[in-house]
Order: sequence, then C-alpha cells, then structure tokens
Amino acid sequence: MRPTMQADSRQPTDNATVPPTSSATPPNPPDRTDAASGWLTLRGIGKRYGATVALDGVDLEVRAGEIHALLGENGAGKSTLMHVLAGLTEPDAGTITLAGHTVSIANPRAARRLGIAMVHQHFTLVPAFTVAENLALDAGGFRRWGRYDAHQAAASALERARALGWNLDGASRIANLSVGAQQRVEIVKALATDARILIFDEPTAVLAGDEVEELFGVLRRLRDQGCAVILIAHKLAEILAVADRVTVLRRGKRVASCLVADTDARQLAAWMVGSAPVSLPVSTSPANAPDPADPLPVSQPSPNVADLGAQPVGVNPALTATSLILRGDRGEIVLRDLSLAARPGEIYGIGGVDGNGQVELAEALAGLRPPVSGALMWNGQPFTPDVSVRTAYIPQDRRRAGLAVTMSVEDNLLFEAVGDPQYRFGPFLRRGRLRRLAQDLIEKFDIRTPTAALPASALSGGNQQKIVVARALRHAPDWIVAMNPTRGLDIGATRFVHDQLRQARARGATIVLITTDLDELAALADRAAILAWGTLTDFEVGAGDATQLGLLLGGMERGKAGDVMDAAESKP
Amino acid sequence: MTTPDPSIPHPTPPPAPAADAEASSPAAGSSLPHTVPQKIFFGLAQWAGYALGFLVLLTLTFAALRIPPLHAFRALWMGAFGDAASGHLYPISETLVETSPLLLTGLGVVVAWRAGMFSIGGEGQLLMGALAATALARYGAHALPAPLLTVLMLVAAMFAGALWGLLAGWLRVRRNVQEVISTIMLNYIALYLVGGMVVGPLQEAARRGPQSDPLPDAILFARLLPPAWSGGMTTRLHSGVLLALVAVLVVWAYLFRTKSGFALRVTGQNAEAARVARFPVARLQMQAMGLSGALCGLAGAVELLGVAGRLDASFSPGWGYTAIPVALLGGLHPVGALVSALFFGALTAGSGNLSRFSGVSSVLIYVIQAAAVLAVVGARAWQAHRSGTDAD
Repeated sequence: MRPTMQADSRQPTDNATVPPTSSATPPNPPDRTDAASGWLTLRGIGKRYGATVALDGVDLEVRAGEIHALLGENGAGKSTLMHVLAGLTEPDAGTITLAGHTVSIANPRAARRLGIAMVHQHFTLVPAFTVAENLALDAGGFRRWGRYDAHQAAASALERARALGWNLDGASRIANLSVGAQQRVEIVKALATDARILIFDEPTAVLAGDEVEELFGVLRRLRDQGCAVILIAHKLAEILAVADRVTVLRRGKRVASCLVADTDARQLAAWMVGSAPVSLPVSTSPANAPDPADPLPVSQPSPNVADLGAQPVGVNPALTATSLILRGDRGEIVLRDLSLAARPGEIYGIGGVDGNGQVELAEALAGLRPPVSGALMWNGQPFTPDVSVRTAYIPQDRRRAGLAVTMSVEDNLLFEAVGDPQYRFGPFLRRGRLRRLAQDLIEKFDIRTPTAALPASALSGGNQQKIVVARALRHAPDWIVAMNPTRGLDIGATRFVHDQLRQARARGATIVLITTDLDELAALADRAAILAWGTLTDFEVGAGDATQLGLLLGGMERGKAGDVMDAAESKP
Repeated sequence: MTTPDPSIPHPTPPPAPAADAEASSPAAGSSLPHTVPQKIFFGLAQWAGYALGFLVLLTLTFAALRIPPLHAFRALWMGAFGDAASGHLYPISETLVETSPLLLTGLGVVVAWRAGMFSIGGEGQLLMGALAATALARYGAHALPAPLLTVLMLVAAMFAGALWGLLAGWLRVRRNVQEVISTIMLNYIALYLVGGMVVGPLQEAARRGPQSDPLPDAILFARLLPPAWSGGMTTRLHSGVLLALVAVLVVWAYLFRTKSGFALRVTGQNAEAARVARFPVARLQMQAMGLSGALCGLAGAVELLGVAGRLDASFSPGWGYTAIPVALLGGLHPVGALVSALFFGALTAGSGNLSRFSGVSSVLIYVIQAAAVLAVVGARAWQAHRSGTDAD
C-alpha cells in the first residue's frame, strides 16, 4: 500500500495542470477530467454519538493539488468528518478511497502512514518544550539508542520550514512564541511526516490580518507542491480568497460541492444556513475581505431587531475610566494611563490585534482586575460590579474562562444565579426554581441541546457561546463588557449574539465591545477606537474608510508579523 | 447537537431507533436520559462490568499464588458477608466496621478533589484527629461528664483535622505550594507526632509500650448489635458507623444543594471560569481543604472511640491513603464513595478470613485492592476509548 501511495502522491498528475505559484489570485483549479480526480474519496461516511447524528452519509472528493474548503455552521459535522479522515474518530459507516485503494484509518498513526496530517485549531504543542523538541516528538528522534538530539531529529522539519519561507528558531520555547508563530510550528510539525493531505481546522481563527494572508500564501505553496489541502472554514471571504473548491455541510450532510469560481458568497451562505434565502446586504467590511463588494452577512442586524443605532451625542457617559494602569498575570504593566468613557445606549467598540492588553482591560472594566492605579466610576460613584450596577462580562475564551465544560448545561447556566437570594432557601439552593430558570434561558437563547443534563462539552461551539451570553444577559444588565463574543461562531450564532447586544443597546445598556474582528466592530460599534501600543486611538465608524482603519492596524502590527525569532525576542 | 428540521426533505427516512426518538423531542423535558432510575440502572450496569473485570483479575492472582480460586472466593465471601440468612451477622458487622473509616476519609477526598485540590493528606488529618481526641480525653476525662466528653472529642478531632488540611490549603492559596506535596509531608509530621506523643506525654501510665492508656468505657461508642443476633459473638459494630452514614448525606447536600458546594465544584472543574463568575476561588479552596480535613479527623476519632479504644504508634493501617481509590472508584460522589467504601470494607473483612483459610499473608488484601482499582481504571479507560470525545 505505502509504496503505491507515495509514488502516486509525490508526483500527482494534477501537478502538470497547476500553473506556477501566483501569490494573489488563485490559479485555475486542477483539471477535473484528470485521472487524479477523486484522488481521495470519502463515501457515505456516517457517525452517531448516542442519539446525535454527527455525520449522515457524507461524500467528499478531494484532488491532489487543490485547496478544498469545507464550509458549514458549528455542528455541521466538518470537524467530525476530518477527525474520521485523521484517524481520530472511527466512522460507523462509509468507505475511504485513496489513490484507488480502499483504506481503513483506525488511528492517527495509520493516517500518518497514509500521509494525512491535521493542523488542529487547539494546538498540540508542548509549551515547555522548544520548537525543535516539539518537532522531534513527531520525527521519532526519541527512539534511537535511548538518547536523542532534538535539533538533529527536527532538522528535516526545520528544513521544510525554510522551504516554506519560515526561519524557525529551533531553540525557542513554545510558551514564549506568539500564537501565529505557534501555528507555524504546528504546520511544520504536520508537514514533517511526509504529509500529502493536510487538514487545517479553522486556522485563521487565531490569526491577525496579515498573518492570515501569509498563511494563505503557505496554503497555496503547499497546493502547488501537489498536496491536497483541506481547509475547515467559517469565513466566506477566506474561502473565496484561497480555496479552489468548496464542499458545504449542513447538519451532518453534504449540501453542495463545487468550484469556488462557480459560486459566490451569497450562494455559499444560503447553502450553509439552510434552504431559506438569506438576506445578504453588502457590508462595509474594510480589512479582511479581498473583494470590497464581498457580502458578509454577519454584519447586519436581523430585521426583527429594533436597531435604534447610536443615541444622542449629548448623553453623559455612564462609565468613565481615568488613567488606568493595569498589570498582567505575571505582574508586568500592560496598560499605562488609559482613559475611556462609555455612554448608555451606545456600543463603544475597541479593536486591535490580540496581545495589546485587551484581556486585562476587559477584566478591569468588568471589575475582575483591580487597577494598579486610576479610577473606574459609574455615574459618578466608584464602580463596584453588581453592587453599583448590574454587570455582565462575556469573556473571550469560553472554554477557558466561561464554562466548566464537564458540568451540565444546566449547571453552566446557573453560575451567577446561585448567588441570587430568590433561588435560595437558607443555605440551600432551590433546585426547582433554578431548573426552571435554566429551561427558560435554554428556550430564550435558543441553546440547542437534547437535555439540560448533558455536559456542556457535548454542545457545539456556538451553543456553548450561547450559554455564556445567556448567563451574562439573563438579568438585563446595565453595564456589559463583551470580548470577542463571536470568535469561532458561524453566521447564525454570530447574528444571534449581535442581535442580543443590539437589543441590550436599545434597552439603554452601556456596552463596551472589545474585538479583533473589524467586521464586527463596523457592524456593531457606534463609536470605536483601536487599542495599540497601550493607547486608544479613536476613529469614526461611519466616516472612517478602510484605508484609515488599515493604517491604524498596519501600524500596530509592526513587529508582530515577524518570524519566530522576532516573536521570541519580543516576549523574553 | 441539532435536531432534524422537519422542513428539510430527507431523501431517505433517517434511522430512528429508540434513543434517537428520545433525543429528537428535546422540548419535552429537562432531563430525559438522566432520570434518577436511569442513572441507577446505568450505574449498576457499570459496576457489574467492573465486578466482572475484578473477578477475572482476582482469579488470575489466586491462580498465580496456587490458591484454588473457588475456595478463595468462598473464603472472601464468608469473611465479608457470612451466612447472613441464618442470623449470623458477625461477618457483615466486621465489613461495616472496616467500612466506616474508609467512608469518612473517602468523603474527605471527595470534597477536596471536587474543588480541584488533590489532597493526599487524609492519613495525617486522621491521625491528628485521633491525637486531639486522645489528648482531650487524657486531660479532660475527670472534668467532663462522659457523653459531653465524647462529643467534644469528636469536635476536637474535626478541628485538628481541619487545621491540618487548612495548613496545606493556605500554603497552596498564598504560596502556591502544591497540595500534593505539602499534604504528604504533613502526613509524616502527623505520623511522627503521634509516635512521639505515645512515648511521651500521652503514654500509658505503666510506660511499657508506645501507646496511650485505654479510654474509659463510659465514653466509648455504644455497641449496636446484641451478641444474640450474631451467634453469641461480641461484635465491634459501633454507633460511629451511623455517623459515617450521616456524613454521606451532609456531604451530598453540601456539594449538590448549597451555593458554596456548587461554587466549589465549578472551581474544581475550571478555576478560571469560577474566578470570572466572581466565585471566591481561594476561599473555596481553603474551605474544601478544611472540610476535607474535618471529615478525615472525624474518622480518626470514630475509630478511636468505636474500635481501638486507645491511641498507639500504628493507629492507622493507611485508611487515609486507601481513601483515594475509594473516592475515585465512587466517581468522587458521596453515594458512590459509600458503595466503594463498602466494597473495600468487605474486601478487608473478607481477606482476613482468606488469610486464615489459605495461610497466605494478609498483605494479600493489598493485591486484591489493587486488582479492584485496576479493573475499574481499565474499564473506564476502555469506555472512554469506545465513546470517543468528539464534538464539532
């Protein structure tokens, strides 16, 4: 099996038809009538988890030398399908054919032997190890003579990295690298095993603007080398920018599969969210979209939301922060002398790339991180969360800071409620009332779960986020701090969260939205600023054109887009 | 995840076995497959599986030791449960006596570990409890009436155990000293403290051995079984066993029916999420260590007042350590801990009989306990492997 495979894969017949690297526009997709069409074929893949059907007879054909996007909402089955291919999940039904041979992929090692590698959304690196050591783990350097030389074992992997234009420093510790740099190591690690089929699980979710473009360049280079690249993605603009073909999944079934050139964002969105036509107003998405007219439906409110927009300018700010100095978790000063004011009935958006002190600012504004100095005032009184004002905080990382995923959906909905006297009788909880509250929230926030007793980990990312949002907004808070509230969510869930924030604004709540997603900023914020290098720079959402915003961000990203060594140096 | 949308035409009718039909009507109820009877059913089925694995492992062990397995099992069973139908309750009473220290310390482990505090300190806390109770009896016996002294001894033991737990908790919360390390160290301190006290201030008046004077009968726990019910034999079944059962209820109510129990469980599952939800994480971790220590300290006093009657240098055969597998086999649930403590108690009582029968050293019990733990750990790993852990 293996020799055949490799002979096939090293010189895919498709290569002949692929034009040489072109960095900006996708080249013509491989000839569909070619003998290599359906080089990798999945037929009728089925997978159930208990009562949940994750995959219902899904077909997928992937050719060598193409970037194949896999599109679908959270819970559509994209990840499960790819886990089947990567040997992480055993399917209940279906066959997988690779280069004309039927293969069975029982475990990740079998997948690796077949040249299939996956770059996970959550990295699989050992933070305390160096780059070389992490790469050596996969290169098998540990087995020789009971001793090993990480650098030697990782040498070929580092060589491959250079071929991709990356100069990785093998001696840097993973924990000291930026997220973008860690992803590069992750990719190189996947490549280190002679992979011919590379699966990327939402690789752009963790990246900033120009890191995305750079990643796309690498995907194209891999494709041009004859690899089959499978890209799990949410963002339509990204698929249109980089993919050759796209397969859309919905609720565990394949809805469509076609050439990207033959479709557009409107069509893809319709396939993704269902048969009902989606209204896709043209947005002003400034930064990420390569095509200015690219419709991004997430940006607009649903018609059923009373969108009052910005309140009159004369309203006095409810929350004022003056001269905040904030420390990070390791005691370092991350923000110095920062001031801001947020008005009721207004969403104040704060944009910027990760790692500029956003988390610390969000926690300070939510009352979770006492500032080293400076004052937080609510309507002229010292701000104390939930005492001077009903406070809601939507943390940016739901799995890390929002949920206890091993506990039930019901319990996860009740974190704040258990402190409420109306749900207690003496020291005891009123379980009946709490259960009803949880049921109410599940219905009101459309959290899709078979039962409230299921562990939260069993829910899709979008539904997990709805738990976090439901908890935050359950008691009609007047002060809301939301940080990347839609990261990793599909269109439907994103729109839902946006509508909830708009409704809160219509109610007169004061809202600060801290986000790395500029589309989100443009869609929601009445007033916005960019946080970079410790300072807030205001810009007007309506008037500020894409160039201005791009400049703001571009200036900020200096030094962030460097190679691993730069990143390692900047974070000693 | 999602339920089939009726508006989407299915090319083929979707498979709809019973389980699927249940899940496709999520609006119907809050907790369909998680009703109490179902939980009990699945729990029992699971334990039946563990028992099978245990029996297989044990059979192999016996075979390796050249003990006829069937005879060995019979000896184990007779030692643990005997012939209860004929009214001979002595073996069962022994099982219950062996259960109670394991149950109390096991509950202590449940509370600490549920809060994410991986305390190994049950042994030291138990010893500190027994030591405090003994000291109180030694110096307060003449001043206090018997029933009051008994109660005060229990309270003192809980305080001493809690103090020992809080020490490790404080080191963790304030100084980030890992509780796994500090509790083990505190175990040694307690062990040698007891060893020193029973040859020092608390040594018996005769000053012969490393032990205290026997406690006066008046303050000891009452015996529950009249000899007539146990074939004329005097049993050791004492009222402290009931105390352990009450503790099961208390721990259950605390963990699952109070705010701080809820917050404690969240803290244990995800301390960062607990902090963001404004739970007082450090205080909850201290609370868990204190409560855990109190339960283990109580175990020491119960054993002192119910069985031992005096403190000596080898007071505990390692209950505080066995408590960890007890709690883990019980799924870190108080009721589960009751079941697994009974199981371990039965093993202890049974293997005493087995060693008399076979002439094999009674350390065989540790082999048997290890076989039980391996069976369950193996079965769980197999289950986890089978069910996968994937969600889109």
